[in-house]
Amino acid sequence: MKYKLSIFFCFLFSVTIFSQYAPENGVKVSTSEFIALRNVTVYVNPTTKIDNATVLISNGKIVEIGLKITVPTGVLEYDFKGKTIVPAFVELYSNIGLPASNERNYSQRPQIETSKKGAYYWNEAIRPEVEASILFDVDAKSAENFSKMGFGFAVTHVQDGIVRGTGALVGLGNENTRKQLISSNSAQYYSFAKGTSGQTYPSSQMGSIALLRQALYDLKYYSENKNAEQSLSLEKWNENQKLPVFFKTEDKWEILRALKIAKEFNQSYYFIGSGNEYVIAKQLKDEKATVVLPLNFPEAYDVNDPYLSRQIPLSDLKHWELAPSNPYLLSSEGIQICLTSLGTKSPEQFWKNLHKAISRGLKVSDALAGLTVNPAKLIGADGIIGTLDKGKLASFTVFSSDPFLTEATLLESWNQGTQQIIKTQALVSIIGTYSINIEGKNYQLELTESNEKPQGKIQLLKTNNSSMKDTINAKVAVTVIQNDINLQFNCDDDNYKGSINLHAKISKNGSVFEGDGTLPNGKWILWSGIKTTKPEDKKEPTTLKIDTTFKAKNWFPNLAFGYDSIPEVRTVVFKNATVWTNENDGIIKDATVITENGKIKYVGTNSIATPTKAIIIDAKGKHLTAGIIDEHSHIAISKGVNEGGQAISAEVNISDVVTADDINIYRQLAGGVTAAQLLHGSANPIGGQSALIKLKWGHSPDEMLIPNAPMFIKCALGENVKQANWGDYNTVRFPQTRMGVEQVFYDGFTRAKTYKQEWDNYLKNLKKQEGSPRKDLELEVLVNILESKCFITCHSYVQSEINMLMHVADSMDFKINTFTHILEGYKVADKMKTHGVGGSTFADWWAYKFEVNDAIPYNAKMMADQGVVVAINSDDAEMGRRLNQEAAKSVKYGGMSEEEAWKMVTLNPAKLLHLDDRMGSIKQGKDADIVLWSDNPLSIKAKVEVTMIDGKILYESANAKSLEERNTTERARIINKMLESNEKGEPSKPFVKKGRKHYHCDTLGEEGTEEENLH
Amino acid sequence: MKFIAIILVVGSSFLTWAQPKRILLTNGFLHVGNGETMESALVGIVDGKIISVKNSLATTVNKQEWDTIINLNGQHIYPGFVAPNSTLGLTEIDAVRATRDFDDVGEFNPHVRTQIAYNAESKVISTVKTNGVLITQATPRGGIISGSSSVMFLSGWNWEDATIQKDDGIHLNWPSSTEGGGWWAEPAPKKRNENYEEEKQKIKSFFKLAQAYANAKEAKFDLRLEAMKACFIGNKRVFFHADDIQQLLDVMDFVKEFSIKYPVIIGGYDAHLIGKRFKDANIPVMLTRVHSLPEMDEDAVDLPYKLPYLLQQQGIKFCLQNTGDMETMNARNIPFLAGTAMAYGLTEEEALRAISLSSCEILGIDKLYGSIQVGKSATLFVSEGPALDMRTNKVSLILVNGKFESVTNFQTELYNKYKKKYEEKQK
Repeated sequence: MKYKLSIFFCFLFSVTIFSQYAPENGVKVSTSEFIALRNVTVYVNPTTKIDNATVLISNGKIVEIGLKITVPTGVLEYDFKGKTIVPAFVELYSNIGLPASNERNYSQRPQIETSKKGAYYWNEAIRPEVEASILFDVDAKSAENFSKMGFGFAVTHVQDGIVRGTGALVGLGNENTRKQLISSNSAQYYSFAKGTSGQTYPSSQMGSIALLRQALYDLKYYSENKNAEQSLSLEKWNENQKLPVFFKTEDKWEILRALKIAKEFNQSYYFIGSGNEYVIAKQLKDEKATVVLPLNFPEAYDVNDPYLSRQIPLSDLKHWELAPSNPYLLSSEGIQICLTSLGTKSPEQFWKNLHKAISRGLKVSDALAGLTVNPAKLIGADGIIGTLDKGKLASFTVFSSDPFLTEATLLESWNQGTQQIIKTQALVSIIGTYSINIEGKNYQLELTESNEKPQGKIQLLKTNNSSMKDTINAKVAVTVIQNDINLQFNCDDDNYKGSINLHAKISKNGSVFEGDGTLPNGKWILWSGIKTTKPEDKKEPTTLKIDTTFKAKNWFPNLAFGYDSIPEVRTVVFKNATVWTNENDGIIKDATVITENGKIKYVGTNSIATPTKAIIIDAKGKHLTAGIIDEHSHIAISKGVNEGGQAISAEVNISDVVTADDINIYRQLAGGVTAAQLLHGSANPIGGQSALIKLKWGHSPDEMLIPNAPMFIKCALGENVKQANWGDYNTVRFPQTRMGVEQVFYDGFTRAKTYKQEWDNYLKNLKKQEGSPRKDLELEVLVNILESKCFITCHSYVQSEINMLMHVADSMDFKINTFTHILEGYKVADKMKTHGVGGSTFADWWAYKFEVNDAIPYNAKMMADQGVVVAINSDDAEMGRRLNQEAAKSVKYGGMSEEEAWKMVTLNPAKLLHLDDRMGSIKQGKDADIVLWSDNPLSIKAKVEVTMIDGKILYESANAKSLEERNTTERARIINKMLESNEKGEPSKPFVKKGRKHYHCDTLGEEGTEEENLH
Repeated sequence: MKFIAIILVVGSSFLTWAQPKRILLTNGFLHVGNGETMESALVGIVDGKIISVKNSLATTVNKQEWDTIINLNGQHIYPGFVAPNSTLGLTEIDAVRATRDFDDVGEFNPHVRTQIAYNAESKVISTVKTNGVLITQATPRGGIISGSSSVMFLSGWNWEDATIQKDDGIHLNWPSSTEGGGWWAEPAPKKRNENYEEEKQKIKSFFKLAQAYANAKEAKFDLRLEAMKACFIGNKRVFFHADDIQQLLDVMDFVKEFSIKYPVIIGGYDAHLIGKRFKDANIPVMLTRVHSLPEMDEDAVDLPYKLPYLLQQQGIKFCLQNTGDMETMNARNIPFLAGTAMAYGLTEEEALRAISLSSCEILGIDKLYGSIQVGKSATLFVSEGPALDMRTNKVSLILVNGKFESVTNFQTELYNKYKKKYEEKQK
């Protein structure tokens, strides 16, 4: 203990020394060596609260705290009777005192390379060299705003880029930057947002993820290789590695995405949340994650106009209701939380929302820990801040009562021992009745409400009938400032006619006013008042109500048609069905299909014992098929379907950005789709890797990914790749012609071969002293393509380019797996067959751009006739739910048999995706991905009755009605709550309608588009 | 007399023959277009007009009366389907600006006419016709009043030949009750349109001016107002493009205020929510594309499919149209929009009425078109099976005003060309 103390005093001493460096203008201003706060209630730390304590402060630090403390002589004393002090909060996400970021450099011509001068990283969004401490200067105005919330410290950083550099721990006092800068390098900050960087890359979230991963590999390489090229960015970043990392996220799924990166690099991140983390509470608990939660709960919508309010998505309503429970729902799961003021508009809103969170069940100790100890620990500053234990910085906030459980007034903010008065509290309450004497005339004054907003009335004599001695009330304007009171009223009685103005001092106990004033005639007089009512017992501040009856529930997913709980795998028996097996048995009538443990257990016409506890579905007159597999889809993707910033972006992966909250998942289930390949767009020759998913509505993005799925990548040719329809400014990026496209492929694959050679040599020769070659995520994927471990689905239209790519592949000794769109496939179907490539096409699309001039609806049949494996895909959220109709068009155009046509949306896409060993047909042992149709599935009359994935029934048309009604009830319930809130005059916002946006092949940027799409 | 027993594939060679004048179709399954059917029908056509519709079994045919008799052997006869509200013929390739002729500069363009921009030789048209769509309403886009549409055949040597009804109506894009959106890469959220009242006022002012002009005995000639005249004192329709409740109710008020004689709503997504008022107002609807996504998350997943049925149940006059993504090439799928409407509540005949007779009634051309009835134009087609199902929509004969049209197009030609390539290779 002594040892610790001495260290502590060393520290103190050193601080004192530093503070003397700056010369004074004038004589030295001294402050009291000791300050004592008496009779105060102290939250020493989140779990210890002491009443009537004394706090002794010296040199900006707490020296002693407790009940019986010997106070040295000559101490500056404050009586804090009735007041509560709370350790200063610590804000983890702030840019206080830093210059505002520049606007994004925008130019119509794409900026491919970095515009930052100097030996920095090649991408402007990676900026670990930025140090907040160098840029920090006291910003008194913002600091005061923080003080009013109760914050005394903040870690401030430049909020720009993916790797943002270091944050500095600063005090939130309003003067002396040197004193406020407590620690220069407290933490690092990352995000998925590229910020003001004007570079084209990255243009999507998956691009940000890939860039961050590549940069982390580069960092590793840099730190291990002495010969690596100099980089000021990596040099600094390497130094920063000992610091904790805060990862700013904008949605719950982003946390899960960042967690994957943390695992890959054996790092751990803390997360700045966005407010909807309650959705992933379970995953956060399993991962033992720490989340910094914002208190910026959404305001209610203005729901008075039903024409408008009916357009508010149920998901927004549900989030409005659940958001204030976010801190409680997480902390009650044992997840470590911190709280941030991020996004709150004012101190009033901050406190209101903090109270809201507490009223929803968040424990005061958890709330306080989340604002003090937890953040202090995360940045390793819990030795000096976070609690009011002996030896820590004397930074705390003084309240008129317990601020967590009552509506308290924030009075003072103490910053490292320096007092700052935020709000002066009147010494005593003036509320009551007084007998006033004005030059011998008596009146009765009544003061109500509060000292801050006093209301006054005075009783006057009635003048018209003096014999009656009747009285009337007149209004009095009252202001109270500390112990001064002003009264003004108009008199119209026997004594005076006109305005009387009075000023007085209030006695210490509030019972006597004594002062001067002027009468209507201007005469200067003495006056006095004496309280006639008994001084009231001190009014207890309003206590917060804890609402334990709160019953809002998170749905899976938390939007329209979400489940109350995720459906379970059941044993299901379909009886008397017409089964389209897609196997040698063809179409079997009156058959039984049994699913168990997520697999198909039986298919046939034998009478078979019904398993116990099975759901039995009579499918008489109905058709049962394997689920539809959409080979080309762009649903359920967040923040960008194209990483079009570079001609090759093989390093990006749609699997990184799958979202479970897309209503189109449910809509497509209702169209019989059970699996899909979510493809990268077609903005560049070598795009990104695919996500192969099952449409498991209600499940997390990771649960939707098909386990052990093969690796796929999107490539593209033609107009989109050469940016032919992107306007006159997009003529910079190579390639701009089909000639250039070929060379991009040759260049990429040639570099990949060299890369592979380098690594092979390194691993063979084990020349460790030279260090390993640089790991390149892009080239690794290309190597996988060359080694046939990653399969290409290539967007293509005209025969020349199709032929070209097959030649490229042949010369590099690999195969193209699938041509998608492939609208001129019918012209080169024989070559395709020879190469061994499949085709995934549209049934009848054409006329949307020049290169589809020769597209014909007979294409599918003609390719199939040449022995090519053909699928029909959607590439469109709307058409994706009618793929059965699209398949049926091949019966019309070219006369394909119904069985073969049906395979084009089931078995054939399964083959193209190398998933036909587990999907695509009704066969014992395959995944129970099944659709029950009301009719022949190719008939225009066919409707989906049941969709099952992995043995779970995820859509039932019979249930749709009741789900719609439940949506309606839930909406009405929440709208009613909002109306109540509207009526109470709580802040509300107008409804903002979001456009219907969907990703298409040619959609750039992070957002979907309402534009006509070009595919 | 030429006697053709069975038509399997009518090649383009048919067109090179002298067009027959007296045609008799026998033994067809007739879908009249007005909801009725006749299992074994006989349709007599003289000089492009239908002169008789009778039961084959109860009628003796005098072969001398006809120069062409075609036994359909139970194939289905349909009135030509209609693609209203379409840019078909006004554009060829969506992405190529040089081919787009449907949207001109200006807010109030009633004088801008699609008729003369209609490309009768459009390759896209040739692929739409062969699925049974024989009539379209060439419709302009953009601005507040986009221009005047014209009803056209999907056939003809030039736009003049192809015209059924010149300048049938003006197209008014009712202001959106919500606004915003930014541009596509950096979209701003949409919100309630604060200029809604102002924008409505703008339209009212224009209509007031036009009304005064129409009623004036002598007015200084004004190109724009002249184009509006027939909306007040003629048969020119006013097509209001509007979807949400707020817009629809305001259109109803507007129609009353200006005593618009022939108002039509295009879109009408929310019409089913205010069915009674719609019916009472007697405003027909060209319904939003059946094959589209629900507008809101909570809408029933099949709401767009069910809309025709919902309108029909409430007695609202409606037909189908298909404006939207790739609408020109997709016009050939209009039969299947009706097919889906059938799967979701309408009967087969009700569904096909929604793309034939109802469309023609709303366009005001039902006197001659939209159904196979005596006195009407012989604008019809024959399909091997039910035309509302993809598998069986196989068009074997097309008549436009009694003239035979090719049932092939450049796509079937490419098909045959490359089929031959593979056949030769096999040899």
